Amino acid sequence: MNLNLEILNVTYLINKTAITNLNTKELIPKMVFRRRLTQASKLCIELMHNIDFTQGRVMYASCFGELNSTAKILNSILNQESISPTEFQNSVYNTPVSYSSIWHKNRSEIMTISSGENSSNKLLKLGAIKALDGDEILLLATETLDIPNIHEVNTSCEYLECAVALKVRITQKKENIAIENIDKKLPKSIALLVEIAKEFDKNRDNIIRVTL
Amino acid sequence: MKTNRAYINNSSCISCAGNSNEELFVAICEKKETIDIDTTYVKNSSVAIGKIKNFIDFDECLISECKKVLKTSNLDDFSSTLLVVGSSVGGMNKTEEIFFKDKSYKNINKKEHPIDAIAHKLKQVFEFYDDISFSTACTSSANALGYAKEVIEKGIYKNVLVVGVDALSYTTVCGFHALSVLSCKPCTPFEANSEGMNVAEAIAVLLVQDKPTKPNAVEICGVGYSCDAHHMTQPHPEGLGAISAMQNALTNAKITTKDIEYINAHGTGTTANDTSELIAIATLFNKHKPYVSSTKSTTGHTLGAAGAIEAIICTMALKKGVIPPSKDISKLKNEEIKISNVVVEKNLNYVLSNSFAFGGNNTSLVFGIPK
Repeated sequence: MNLNLEILNVTYLINKTAITNLNTKELIPKMVFRRRLTQASKLCIELMHNIDFTQGRVMYASCFGELNSTAKILNSILNQESISPTEFQNSVYNTPVSYSSIWHKNRSEIMTISSGENSSNKLLKLGAIKALDGDEILLLATETLDIPNIHEVNTSCEYLECAVALKVRITQKKENIAIENIDKKLPKSIALLVEIAKEFDKNRDNIIRVTL
Repeated sequence: MKTNRAYINNSSCISCAGNSNEELFVAICEKKETIDIDTTYVKNSSVAIGKIKNFIDFDECLISECKKVLKTSNLDDFSSTLLVVGSSVGGMNKTEEIFFKDKSYKNINKKEHPIDAIAHKLKQVFEFYDDISFSTACTSSANALGYAKEVIEKGIYKNVLVVGVDALSYTTVCGFHALSVLSCKPCTPFEANSEGMNVAEAIAVLLVQDKPTKPNAVEICGVGYSCDAHHMTQPHPEGLGAISAMQNALTNAKITTKDIEYINAHGTGTTANDTSELIAIATLFNKHKPYVSSTKSTTGHTLGAAGAIEAIICTMALKKGVIPPSKDISKLKNEEIKISNVVVEKNLNYVLSNSFAFGGNNTSLVFGIPK
């Protein structure tokens, strides 16, 4: 079965190291809230601001989730140190979209998937199936891999920090975006979505076919 | 759009409460002691946790549970089946083994670390049409079940295998200990002086299909989602998100509060969860009061597997006409709630199961006898 998604708007950020030029301070003036945010949470809030989507259903994907919090917890246990409660609560995969839902008071359905290197493709499928209900949905994906000693396991990915958002709805229109080349320097889990975002042209319809 | 119905035709589970659905349900009804006291996970502390008994390898258990479901199903294989995994731990337990031994990430397999490690393992043994893994902390497999209902309802898939799975890991046990919510004895959800929760491991597998293949199939009648939009770990004190999820599930099932005869509560045993959830239930079910129990007093909190194992408990309750009892609550935290410390035999039509998670992620499911 095929479903076509109309891409209404896109935004993305990619960098070889941690992205620092964010507007988090302006977007989250409340310091007690801001200081708890993970890097992926900051990226999500930035993208949601850029794409002007704060209310409605959000479908989020990440292959490795909150790697920095996870690594800190592992190192604490290894070194027989106390675990930070904040680090633990921040280690779940749905952390970024949870913080954004709290900040924006978005009480809608918010889902998080993690399907390895195929997370982009699976997020499109999830989004297309959800979008059959007729609403506009935000598809979000992040990878935040710039953590100490990541070189011990990362041999191929050059862009350690990537985040992408697509606002979509279901459509009967014919597809006009086909991604043929994927940048191999991006994390595989997010590359397809970034390439779709790069293809977006605000002066035309942007339709992608999702094969289920 | 098509509106098919979703039926749970086959299921199997393993947990600290038993190696089969029957053993689990007997353990709940007979209020067996299933939780162990452990001194290995948290330095200088005893914590009560739920360990699977009589097994060697967790991965072998995972494969075995899926094989059991396949064997009792009408399928020859899973090649036409969508695999939907719900997990919060994924391959973290494996990562811990390697990292604590090597003190380095070098030998960690990238495919065996993340949440997708579960699907990766299963796809080495079974062929699936496609797969997707949900990871929303403690609602992971409840969301997997909700998605199974949705894709069948919309006529996209006919067969969906839902696998709720979480192994014990140092990260989760020590993490919940850091949050000061672990009990050092078997948990007592909804007891006025409950001391906290028990982390536990489990594997629960359910085959959801668009047609009932057995006379005792159970229907997934409704799913309701909501977000608290309140706090990362504390549920809304008035249970607003929980109320919304339960109401959404009832609306989706096209029934009302008076139709629900039993609620399998999230009921972790923590003060914050239990207080909020009981307020939510008392508020929504203010006229017609169904029985409420938390089976986590027997299974422990199986985190990402909780929604799936509690779905199996709900199907057993519906099939047997038995309301799972509470485990000897002496003083109830909220007197507006109806509980029973003994098994209640009653023909049931609809039951509701709650799952709530970090980030205020709420999911309620309605199960029923097919009409």
